[in-house]
Amino acid sequence: MKEFKAILTNELIKTIRRPRSFIGFGVILFICIMLQAAFYHDGKEIISFVTQQFESVFNIQGNVLNGNLICFIILQTLIVQMPLLVALVTGDSISGETATGTVRFLLTRPASRTKIVLAKWLAGLFYTLLLLILLGIMALFVSHWVFGNGDLMSLNSEGLTVIRADDMNWRWAYAFLIAFLSLSVVASLSTMLSSIMDNSITPIVSVMAIIIIFTIIGMFDLPSFEVIKPFLFTTHMISWKNLFEDPIPTQDILLSAVILFVHIIAFLAVSIYYFNRKDITT
Amino acid sequence: MKHIVFIALLFMSIQGIAQDNPKDLIRILNRKFNLVQDYTADVRMKFDIPNVKMKNMNGKVFFKRPNKFRVKAKGIFFMPKQNPMQNISTLLLDTASYTTVISGYEVIDSRNCAIINIIPLKSESELILGKFWIDLADPLVRKSQITTKNNGTLESYSQYGDKSSFTLPDKITIKVEVNKFKVPKMMSVDLNKKAQEKKNLSQKEIGTIEMNFSQYKINTKLQDVVFVEE
Repeated sequence: MKEFKAILTNELIKTIRRPRSFIGFGVILFICIMLQAAFYHDGKEIISFVTQQFESVFNIQGNVLNGNLICFIILQTLIVQMPLLVALVTGDSISGETATGTVRFLLTRPASRTKIVLAKWLAGLFYTLLLLILLGIMALFVSHWVFGNGDLMSLNSEGLTVIRADDMNWRWAYAFLIAFLSLSVVASLSTMLSSIMDNSITPIVSVMAIIIIFTIIGMFDLPSFEVIKPFLFTTHMISWKNLFEDPIPTQDILLSAVILFVHIIAFLAVSIYYFNRKDITT
Repeated sequence: MKHIVFIALLFMSIQGIAQDNPKDLIRILNRKFNLVQDYTADVRMKFDIPNVKMKNMNGKVFFKRPNKFRVKAKGIFFMPKQNPMQNISTLLLDTASYTTVISGYEVIDSRNCAIINIIPLKSESELILGKFWIDLADPLVRKSQITTKNNGTLESYSQYGDKSSFTLPDKITIKVEVNKFKVPKMMSVDLNKKAQEKKNLSQKEIGTIEMNFSQYKINTKLQDVVFVEE
């Protein structure tokens, strides 16, 4: 256990100290500040683009442009980018060391290969958690501070759902929890590909390619795609949005959470299996 | 005895005139409208708007003659652009701007009502046609249908309680024509939802807003400042 703690601490320090880790933090800060500034100046026009279909008949009263809406928009925007940021750091956690040869030194330590993979995987999850905490602070707290609190007018394919402000906090807590589960799938996939491949760039690019392909499949309503969509983890990664529906489709959310969890376990199991049998030749 | 018969006949003839003469009905109604200079009331709003999910909410309404009206509530809510609580009295009190015709009689909530059509005299008027179902026994607007150039047709049903002498309803149900709402899938980022069946966007649906009023306070000399949006 002591040995595992030492490896984990070492992996955490390595992950945090790498310059590319800060790219993720920088991107989140930049996107949040950019969107908040844009909505601060042109928010009403942007919102009216959505509400104009109703505004011919109704006056929409109350503070529509509030912290909850901005957080919802930021989360919706970043759901495509965040997995790429996670893959950027976790994608070469093992393959990077294999490519540079440092993995040999790592394996000279008394800890088993399984513990090494677990430590690298947990370090990846920790980085993912840090990204989400930063996103939570920027998207939720800063947006509330700038735009104030208010009811959320969430947009989905069935129309608009207005959720009262005093019913929001627990929804955000679960939304971020599901977002963490979703990004953990990406971190696990990256770790798996990283354990299989010997090149540091290939796993990162592969994860990005997989996410892009799966997302594109999810966008089209073609009958042949409909069959495979439920099996793609990207389909379930946006299940956090279901928390902002009324009534909440609890069964769908639970099913998505289970599918995401199964993916994490499967990717981790493959990583451990493959790394334990890997012949280190570099 | 002769006097009693005479008075009875006179009363019946007046009733008859009122039933046939829309102007008399509106005159009686306007007299009641003029009793109210301002009011406040608690309101509970219930929304049933196609493609909009919104929970019921409580608020407070403020009205001041001639046509200042505001619903104050904590949160987001939808109000029809032409609000009958604001428009009906303003429209009917301006008797010089329209002409009236009785187009029929109908029973609304077990009350005999005359259907009075209000036709604006000026072509540039926003109003195209106003139809009011006015209670013959106790002149009150039980139902209205207002068609305007820009906001389509709005229908409202009013139920009265102890404030009927002031023409203030306990409940008003507003029905509005709403265009079908379409959200592009890319905008809603609903990747795991099947796209909705193709909608005929030109087809209209009916949205309903129900407002239940209580705790009326009438003629309290409301200040204009309460109508200023924060």
